[in-house]
Amino acid sequence: MLPRLPGKFVQRKEFEAASERVAAGKGDLTDPKQAITEAEAIEQAKQGHEAAFEVLYHLHKRRVYSLCLRMVSNPAQAEDLAQEAFLQLLRKIGTFRGETAFSSWLHRMTVNVVLMQLRKKGLPVVSLEETLEADDEAPRKEFGTKDVKLTGSIDRLQMQRAIDRLPPGYKTVFVLHDVEGFEHNEIAQIVGCSIGNSKSQLHKARLKLRDYLKFMRAEKAKTG
Amino acid sequence: MTCADVERVLPELIDGAPDAALQTDFETHLKACSACSDLVSDLKLIASEARQLAATEEPASRVWVRIAAELRAEGLVHDQVSEQDSEPEFWPTRPILVPASPRRRWSAWWLAPVAAALLAAGSYVVSHKSAPQVAKQQAPVPSVTSPATVTPAANAPSVPTPAPQQVAQQKSPKPIKIAEPAVGSLVEPEPSAEDQQFLSEVSTRAPSMRATYESQLRAVNADILETQAYVDRNPGDVDARQHLMDAYQQKALLYQIALDRIQ
Repeated sequence: MLPRLPGKFVQRKEFEAASERVAAGKGDLTDPKQAITEAEAIEQAKQGHEAAFEVLYHLHKRRVYSLCLRMVSNPAQAEDLAQEAFLQLLRKIGTFRGETAFSSWLHRMTVNVVLMQLRKKGLPVVSLEETLEADDEAPRKEFGTKDVKLTGSIDRLQMQRAIDRLPPGYKTVFVLHDVEGFEHNEIAQIVGCSIGNSKSQLHKARLKLRDYLKFMRAEKAKTG
Repeated sequence: MTCADVERVLPELIDGAPDAALQTDFETHLKACSACSDLVSDLKLIASEARQLAATEEPASRVWVRIAAELRAEGLVHDQVSEQDSEPEFWPTRPILVPASPRRRWSAWWLAPVAAALLAAGSYVVSHKSAPQVAKQQAPVPSVTSPATVTPAANAPSVPTPAPQQVAQQKSPKPIKIAEPAVGSLVEPEPSAEDQQFLSEVSTRAPSMRATYESQLRAVNADILETQAYVDRNPGDVDARQHLMDAYQQKALLYQIALDRIQ
């Protein structure tokens, strides 16, 4: 019996493992077997190789899905949105020139897909520039609670509920920066705004969240 | 620095200021002003706690399956064919049988329970080799007592009840025995007794289809063998176990397609 070459599944796993090693700085780029980078996967994907598409998907699926999930709070919808974001990316991959980071390009598409979905649902999607003009004042203490400092930890459910209440523009920047860890220069590329605007929106998002969280805690304290 | 100044510069300073002098003024004010200090403390807490929502969940494996199907349907992808792969390039990587001959009536009624047994065996094997962090559970070994009690896949036609001597030939499904590869190499798997019987039936009833089925069977058995070896080395890899299950389903589908020609 002749030995056979590893099939597609093991090839993909080896490709992923090598990519992760390189991304973690542990890969040995002088070793041809390990010198597999995201850039190579992109080039192979441009030539239509399914395994390369799959590697790109697996490299970025968690972040894309997490972004969608934080924006819509519904796992099934988040899956549909993540699927659509990847499809758009892979359809257009031939046009990627490397002028921006691949992840920024991907997440820009993801944000656009999510915002389009929110528009279809009839939710008011205000541009970042408009939110800057509409809400340019100090946070109002509208809940009438004693201005008590937030202490201890904030549980995930409370945090997610508070995020759900944010307007889409604030939510986008907050999720990208504080949840997903993007820098302001990356967010500026993703959402198409200035770095200063990104910082401003983030600050306003955090102020709103502070108000929501204090209100929720006060309500919880009342009900015991 | 006043409280109004703090509110103005806070977006720039809260995550670290490029201007050291401004940062110093800022911190001096916070030490003297409890309201601003509480505000900054709260905002930092929110920022740090938000990280717990970072990408921990994964989308279900069906998401990639749907993406791949869509990409193939749009003609955007093709499978990379190895130079040493001897199969013709029009054979897809996953065995997909394209009907090429007229339907014939066979009496290979045993294909239905074997197909169902393959799926059950696949489920047993995949669930039996559970991830280390999951408590081991004894998966009940599915048993087939007669074809009439087995529920084949949705599209399979009904199977006539066999004679008692034929029932006696039924075996309880067990993990499909495929020859273990030698360490460091992968060899073509030896066909199992069920596979040999299947191919024998095909040779008898539709000799022109034998080469097709044999090739498809070889491909799917190799996929099962390779993935099984991978799962053995990486028992915690959920993706690998799902792929193994998919491979068993592919094999069951192969049997089902043959069964479809019986009726």
